Amino acid sequence: MDMLRINGLNKVYGGKVAYRALTDISFAVEKGEFVGIMGPSGSGKTTLLNLVATIDSPTTGEILIDGRNPHQLKRNDLARFRRRELGFVFQDFNLLNTLTVEENIVLPLTLDGERVKVMERKVGEIARKLGIEGILNKRTYEISGGQAQRTAIARAIIHTPKLLFADEPTGNLDSKSAKDVMETLATINQSDGTTMMLVTHDAVAASYCHRVIFIKDGRLYNEIHRGDSRQAFFQKIIDVLSLLGGHAHDLSSVRV
Amino acid sequence: MTFRQFAFNNVLRNKRTYAAYFLSSAFSVMVFFVYAVFAFHPDLAAGNLSNSVSQGLHFAESIIYVFSFFFVLYSMSAFLKTRKKEFGLLVMHGMTQLQLRTMVFLENVLIGFFSTLTGIGIGLVFAKVILLAAERLLDLDNPLPFYIPVEALLLTFAAFLILFVVISLFTVAVLRGNSLVHLIRGSQAPKTEPKASPWLSLLAAILLVGGYIAAFWVEGLVVVGAMIPVTLVVIAGTYFLFTQLSVYLIRRATRSKAFFWRKTNMLLMSDLTYRMKDNARTFFMVAILSTVAFSAIGSLVGFRAMSESTIVDESPFAFQYSYWWEDQDADRAKQDVAYIGQVLKEENVTYELYEATIRSQPVKNPNKREYVVRASEYNAIASAVGEQTLDLKGHEAAFVYYSNALYGGERTGSDTIELSGIEQPLKVTVQDFSNLLPLFTGYYVIPDPLIEQLDESKSTESVFGFYVEDWEDTVEVGRQLSEHLPNGSGDYFFNALAYDLHTFLQGYSAIMFVGLFMGAVFFVGAGSFLYFRLYTDLDDDKQKFRAIVKLGLTDKELSKVITRQLMLLFFVPIGVAIVHGAVALNSLSNLFHYPLVRETALVLGSFLLVQIVYFLFIRSRYLQQIRREVYR
Repeated sequence: MDMLRINGLNKVYGGKVAYRALTDISFAVEKGEFVGIMGPSGSGKTTLLNLVATIDSPTTGEILIDGRNPHQLKRNDLARFRRRELGFVFQDFNLLNTLTVEENIVLPLTLDGERVKVMERKVGEIARKLGIEGILNKRTYEISGGQAQRTAIARAIIHTPKLLFADEPTGNLDSKSAKDVMETLATINQSDGTTMMLVTHDAVAASYCHRVIFIKDGRLYNEIHRGDSRQAFFQKIIDVLSLLGGHAHDLSSVRV
Repeated sequence: MTFRQFAFNNVLRNKRTYAAYFLSSAFSVMVFFVYAVFAFHPDLAAGNLSNSVSQGLHFAESIIYVFSFFFVLYSMSAFLKTRKKEFGLLVMHGMTQLQLRTMVFLENVLIGFFSTLTGIGIGLVFAKVILLAAERLLDLDNPLPFYIPVEALLLTFAAFLILFVVISLFTVAVLRGNSLVHLIRGSQAPKTEPKASPWLSLLAAILLVGGYIAAFWVEGLVVVGAMIPVTLVVIAGTYFLFTQLSVYLIRRATRSKAFFWRKTNMLLMSDLTYRMKDNARTFFMVAILSTVAFSAIGSLVGFRAMSESTIVDESPFAFQYSYWWEDQDADRAKQDVAYIGQVLKEENVTYELYEATIRSQPVKNPNKREYVVRASEYNAIASAVGEQTLDLKGHEAAFVYYSNALYGGERTGSDTIELSGIEQPLKVTVQDFSNLLPLFTGYYVIPDPLIEQLDESKSTESVFGFYVEDWEDTVEVGRQLSEHLPNGSGDYFFNALAYDLHTFLQGYSAIMFVGLFMGAVFFVGAGSFLYFRLYTDLDDDKQKFRAIVKLGLTDKELSKVITRQLMLLFFVPIGVAIVHGAVALNSLSNLFHYPLVRETALVLGSFLLVQIVYFLFIRSRYLQQIRREVYR
């Protein structure tokens, strides 16, 4: 069954100079699948993610999440939909630095009026799973980038979302932290069966996915599936990227 | 492009960024100018007001100047803080410190010059409106005409030119000590969690409670002595309330999960300790400024009401004519009373005439003189104005003492009095206070038969009272009579209640105007401080809400969090000021023995109303800005 289905998606930004960001994009993501979106700078990756994540609305086309079209919801219902059904991980973490790690993780639940007992139990479970029990009472400026991103992941999955979106989650991290974060995501995908969609520049990060979709100039370009070996998959990704005509700086150096 | 052109274009092409600073500068110029137009008004300077009042006007002008100085300085530093990033960029591209300062200096002078012109321009229009409003609201007899205020214009121009140059020099201090990294990161750098000392928090509570108890406890003239220490204690308490106690309480609240982890509380409270600590000085200043405004306006309004009631209470008669005689005959008095009666008849004023004779009689033991009034005369007047009559028999007497709001009045201790001419001492059976006769001191009322036994008094005062039911309508007749019977030209004293009251209120109006104007200026100034404070937080808020809205925050929740956040910002300092002001006005009413509840409620209520309107306006604008950023 498809968790996400996209049909004929187009996005045009208005303004003095109209700009066509996405043209006729259609694909589907199965339940429990881990999909990567790659492409050179300005290819429309983030636009696509924003549309699917209901942060932005499409010009034409249809997006179905678990069979429902969230863009038909009213603004307040849409906000509740995001809070209950979707999870987000951002490049710059987007943690509130006035809150502790624990408080940041429970924030979406507090907005929904969850009981304190339940929230405490969930935070405990997730922190153990992600290995951040030791920093729960720290502030966001007292922890490392990798810990901050794992906190953000904890926040994104505490309400067991149907879909988890990650926008360049390793973009601000060193290679060791990036590896930790990607392994964390992969583990969650395996153990909880959470459907995930990852937008990235980083071929290493993309190699953790089951399937990578490439877009170029706002159109679907190619897609490749992972076999058994992550190393081979990584090599395939690199090959497609070089065909795509991305610039050298889009490729991170091999570090597996 | 020369450097000077760059500085100029930077201002002219970035109007938006500079608008807030420009408008607040223009605003303070306008306030100063409008006030100067009033202070230099030829009709007021020409002696319609007493010299001290006109001095007071100019003193108040200098206070406005000092206030403008701090206001502009504050706006400027808020403005520069929001531009840290821009300065960082310029420095990174190789601008020297000297060039940066020159640029800021030039910008400031440019903005200062144009805001002075704008302020004066708007002020000219506004002055006309205010003069009209003052005429209507204050019910002035001689309307203040509009004039071309050359003096005010020159003063304002010169004063603000100096002000902006001096403030531009201050920018050096604001910009100094900022490293490039610091500039470029702007306000991004994370701040450590603010701490509050429990002891200082306790001290704040003790100071405030102590000050309040003292303020409630003292009464009468002690208030004057207690005023300064109590004020200082409360000011210190207020300072610690904002810097320590509030932070301490919020931190305590965030530790309770049951409270902090509930719905939007976490979003609302998370920033609060930081903001409280950041805003503590602003809050403190706003609270004290508003308290000053409340107290000043409250005491002016209260003093007016009090004086008015004193004047009315002291004169039961619409017109009163009293005449002293020792040796001379009383023809003059008869003529004058007949004249008053005739004028009143011509003007169709119905009146009843009452007469009383007050004798100054020697007392045997101790040897002094006391005033004595005939019981029948006293009772006639008392029953006419609806006061208690005295029932005196045989050798009884009543002592009537004087009292008003400013002077408490005392009973004399003696139970008997021995008047020369009467063998037997009189027993004082009644002691009561009343202002029926214009003696302004205590006197005795004795039964009619005993009056005949008294030695003939050499010093006597005849009081003629004209009782008019609708005395408020007799201003014009009063004016006519007062002009014909000027006080001080003979052995008589004439007063016309309605006209005297009118004259008093007219004289007081100018003072009221100045007071209200100053109060309003302080209040608006306080509001603007909050506004600037708010806009330094806007960027942080935008960033914060952008992230949270992505996670899923409904519009309702967003507006709820922001509304509460702004409510705290707006109503905490004003709330403190209202409580302070209420306590101060309570002390004032203790001092004067005059209840100021109505006046206090009126003043504080109208300020609160203005603040609510201001809050609603700012809230909708702020929400709009956040929404525009968040739902792009």
